[in-house]
Amino acid sequence: MDVPEDLRYSSDHEWVRRSGSRLTIGITDYAQDALGDVVYLEVPSGGAVVAAGERISEVESTKSVSDIFAPVDGTVVEVNDQLGDQPELVNQDPYGGGWICVIDIGGDESGWDALLDAAAYRALIAE
Amino acid sequence: MTDRRSPLDAAHRAASARMVPFGGWEMPLSYPQGTLAEHHACRHAAVVFDVSHLGTVRVEGPGAVEVCQRAFTNDLARIAPGRAQYTHLLDPVDASVTDDIIVWWRADGSLDVMPNASNTDGVTSALGEEAAAAGEDGIKITDVTASRAVLAIQGPQARQLLASVSPAAAAVERFAVVDVEIAGVPCVVAGTGYTGEDGVEIAVPAGDAVALWEAIVNAGITPAGLGARDTLRLEAGLPLHGHELGAGITPLQAGLGWVVRWDKGPFRGRDALEIEREVGPARRLVGLRAADRRPPRQGDAVLRDGEPVGEVTSGNFSPELGCGIALAFVGGGAEEGSALVLSGRGAERSVEVVALPFVR
Repeated sequence: MDVPEDLRYSSDHEWVRRSGSRLTIGITDYAQDALGDVVYLEVPSGGAVVAAGERISEVESTKSVSDIFAPVDGTVVEVNDQLGDQPELVNQDPYGGGWICVIDIGGDESGWDALLDAAAYRALIAE
Repeated sequence: MTDRRSPLDAAHRAASARMVPFGGWEMPLSYPQGTLAEHHACRHAAVVFDVSHLGTVRVEGPGAVEVCQRAFTNDLARIAPGRAQYTHLLDPVDASVTDDIIVWWRADGSLDVMPNASNTDGVTSALGEEAAAAGEDGIKITDVTASRAVLAIQGPQARQLLASVSPAAAAVERFAVVDVEIAGVPCVVAGTGYTGEDGVEIAVPAGDAVALWEAIVNAGITPAGLGARDTLRLEAGLPLHGHELGAGITPLQAGLGWVVRWDKGPFRGRDALEIEREVGPARRLVGLRAADRRPPRQGDAVLRDGEPVGEVTSGNFSPELGCGIALAFVGGGAEEGSALVLSGRGAERSVEVVALPFVR
């Protein structure tokens, strides 16, 4: 399973890529593989103020339904509308075209600091 | 209890299949290319499923046909040796569908009764009860499931590609049952399936199953798992036991009245079913089509004018139609073209009642 070094991770199998106060969120290679073919993704609501652990989206494969949770506190400032018609991008390119949304954390570093680094996430999925 | 494994288990694992428990067996859910690709291959080319988890209960000897006639709803008098028939075993008390079954009536007169995996023991004992009640002492009822594998080759190119392995197997007509030697191995081939596509199913001795599987895959036929089998049968509007059939569900509710032959005499569950036939079923199975991709799911409520009138029994994304589809029981039924509302997981949306199958 691909676990890029430059990202951080949540224990709910989301990845987080940071650029200033903007955090791009998606689901990991491990998660997309476990889900199987993704056929539907509920695109999160732009502008929503979310708390870490709050359900922001739902992803469905041919075999199961899974919630996607905000990995940090913040505001959803951008969403990947393309996933509405092409949810398969989550399978094909989980760390690229399969990104789900961008959350702006403002000046609150606590959520970022609580995320796992690549080594810790690798250990989690090896369990 | 450990799950049973197919004679093809090692071949699936070598192909990196994702294995899942199903009906007391561990079977492939999908191969690395995934359920959608396997589904597409079946609709537009050809796939092979390992369906060894289906049971085979061999009924043979004097009275074999009579005992099956007493046990099942369909009428073997409408076919003959060398033909297959879809039929139901009903609960004698409430006419619930205990199992839906394919019977392969072989040329030698024996009947290979093929129940769903988890119902094999129940079907075997029901046949034994009917044999005892009929006083048929010469009959032999044997669960031969472990002795063979069953491969289902399905899709518009199934016969053409299978012909390079066995022209005789590829030529077995729809609902025919023929003994065929494939590479010197005695097999039984039937023109049956569960995908809505043309194709055949092959019962092969367990020890020869891997060689046949490999020959079929090498002929360009794509291995497919239970994930694709489920989306294919759903698009084809075919019921799955435990969803559209089972405890509390009769053939009449499921829209399968044609499986019940009233003109053939007594059969298990007939008296109970006659009562429902008089008054008409209180609910009926309907097809529902969503406007968007989101898959309806088993347990979603069906609403009409804000009132609950039924429940989804199977739902998924239809790869062919590009939208969500579902089978649901609706009180009093529902007219094709009318709108109903699905409610589940915190959301409501309108769906259209459509004719089955969803995909032809």
